[in-house]
Amino acid sequence: MIEVKNVTKTYGKKNNAFVALDNVSFTIPDGASVAILGKSGSGKSTLMHAISGLDKPEKGEIIIDGKNILALNQKAIDKFRSRTISFIFQSFFVQANESCYDNVSLPLEISGTAVNRRKKRIEDALTAVELLDKKKSRARDLSGGQKQRLAVARAIVGNPRILFADEPTGNLDSATGQVVEDLLFGYNKDNDVTLIVVTHDPDLAKRCDIQIHIKDGKIESIEGNE
Amino acid sequence: MKLRDITIRAGRSLKHAKARTLLTSLAIGVGAFTIVLSLAVGAGGRQYAANIISSNTNEKALYNISPKQDGVDSSKPKKYTNAQIANYGGYEMVLLRQSDLDKMAKVDGVKSVMPYFTVSPKYVTREGQEKYQASIEPFQSEVKLEYAAGNANDIDKDSIIIPDDYREALGFKNASDAIGKKVQIIIEKGGSNPLDPEIKAFEYNIVGVNKKPAVAINGGTTLQMTSGNMKIINDYNLQGTPTYGTYLSASVMAKDDVDVDTVKTNLDKAGYESKTAEDLMGFIFQFINVLQAILIGFGALAVLTSVFGIINTQYISVLERTQQIGLMKALGMRRRDVGRLFKLEAAWVGFLGGSIGSILAVAGGTIANPIISKALKIGDVSLIVFEPLSVAVVVVGLVVVSVVSGILPARKAAKLNPIEALRTE
Ligand SMILES: Nc1ncnc2c1ncn2[C@@H]1O[C@H](COP(=O)(O)OP(=O)(O)OP(=O)(O)O)[C@@H](O)[C@H]1O
Ligand SMILES: [Mg+2]
Repeated sequence: MIEVKNVTKTYGKKNNAFVALDNVSFTIPDGASVAILGKSGSGKSTLMHAISGLDKPEKGEIIIDGKNILALNQKAIDKFRSRTISFIFQSFFVQANESCYDNVSLPLEISGTAVNRRKKRIEDALTAVELLDKKKSRARDLSGGQKQRLAVARAIVGNPRILFADEPTGNLDSATGQVVEDLLFGYNKDNDVTLIVVTHDPDLAKRCDIQIHIKDGKIESIEGNE
Repeated sequence: MKLRDITIRAGRSLKHAKARTLLTSLAIGVGAFTIVLSLAVGAGGRQYAANIISSNTNEKALYNISPKQDGVDSSKPKKYTNAQIANYGGYEMVLLRQSDLDKMAKVDGVKSVMPYFTVSPKYVTREGQEKYQASIEPFQSEVKLEYAAGNANDIDKDSIIIPDDYREALGFKNASDAIGKKVQIIIEKGGSNPLDPEIKAFEYNIVGVNKKPAVAINGGTTLQMTSGNMKIINDYNLQGTPTYGTYLSASVMAKDDVDVDTVKTNLDKAGYESKTAEDLMGFIFQFINVLQAILIGFGALAVLTSVFGIINTQYISVLERTQQIGLMKALGMRRRDVGRLFKLEAAWVGFLGGSIGSILAVAGGTIANPIISKALKIGDVSLIVFEPLSVAVVVVGLVVVSVVSGILPARKAAKLNPIEALRTE
């Protein structure tokens, strides 16, 4: 369970201060799929960065599995990021020069997974996104959709418990976007993994269990599909 | 993250920027090349010098013995002393007398005393041949000569050893042809009228013809005979002159069970300066070391230049890979590991440059060695000697230097804020 309690994030100082998140609170049950919606600049990415421990809001608590991640030291946060969560970004961020295999291998290397246990997990992840045949190809030779599928493989290889996706289909046409969406929701349902998607796309938002609407850093409404 | 994985990733990112990696490491390579070659030349020079010294000196001997002149300042007018002084090219030497030699012989630990002096006869010749200038030295059994023919085993008062150049000049077809033949040494009588000097011919049998040796200072150009013979012609040459009965210097042999340094101290107390074989060596080694230090200085300069090259390249690399660094940090890579990644890349560059430079230096040195030896006519001697350990130390040293150069860019990478880094498109 993820509990966000009274989180406030301010950018800049004094006269220039800009409140990107204003006293935000909500709860996400384990295994849920959540869409964070809102206009550009409303604070969606900022919220996602806070929940994933990339950013430190100055006020509030974010409690995951009973621990306030905002109070963790850097080492513990790094460990939390490499073991518990994972990311998919709008602009893929795959390593163009490296092979698909090495791209997917990165999170396992970071978490210190034993060498002999990596191969199977990498191949399983590539199989899940139907890229096993591209194992040895360099990432720069892939199409946009393939790159995002590779990013999905990289995100799921470490068996994360929470998957963050910031505009995962923003750079893809609707057909390819659909494939990536299906992958994410399939993974969410099959593995009981919490999926948190930042999106503009109302159709994608509708597939989620919970929709959180943000406006000017404040929660406008929270809707559930149940 | 495991060090092994970081090392592999570091190597891989260098492979993806081949041209840049190669150019950066070539700068270090120049330094490695110069340093490895300087070390090899130094090692070769020291070995060569040690060879020369061991074939020209005896570790039990003390050389260049001369009376001590305390507090003499050569730039000031000197007080008159009764000592015999010889002037050699502006360098004044106080000569030794027979009484000095007797005094030295009584010094504790001294086995034997041998005066050193040279005789310059009017000329050397043999029947039906031209006259030649020459210089004669006393034969010293500890100086190893290489003989083209004959040897010094039976050297006696009638014997002489001549260099191969004189053998040829005196008209002998080959070295063995000269053995047993006679040569004449013409000596001017001391104190005779310089315009019409009285002269005397001394005749000797050739017992040995020595080759110009690869590793010896003397013996190549002077004629040699027993010390006793030389004393006879020297006395004839100097009688009635002020330098009669004096010697340039002397050498002393220490008793087998006495340390040379002890004898040196004893001689010093008796009023004589002397040099051990080691003192003589020290001078040559110091010369080689200074030469080597200058060469290494050039190499160090090249390394210093390449340090800036590495810092620059690594900074650019960090900028280019901002996104990659951001992603790795977002995925939970530790700051320390990000820093290590960039330091290891620098280490690879240093290793590559060090290896390329060393390999080229060893290859070049190995090719150049016989050519240099031939040009200097020193025979089958290597002047460039590569010691595997020093090559390894150079490579390791350059890896360390590269890592140190990589510290600042690595710190910049480690400090990157992942959110900012991932925003750059
Ligand atoms: N480092 C920063 N310094 C100052 N202001 C910032 C900083 N990062 C974000 N902001 C501001 O915070 C607000 C929220 O930004 P955020 O990136 O969360 O928006 P978003 O909802 O993700 O928008 P988009 O849909 O365009 O991605 C914006 O107005 C932005 O200008
Ligand atoms: Mg955003």
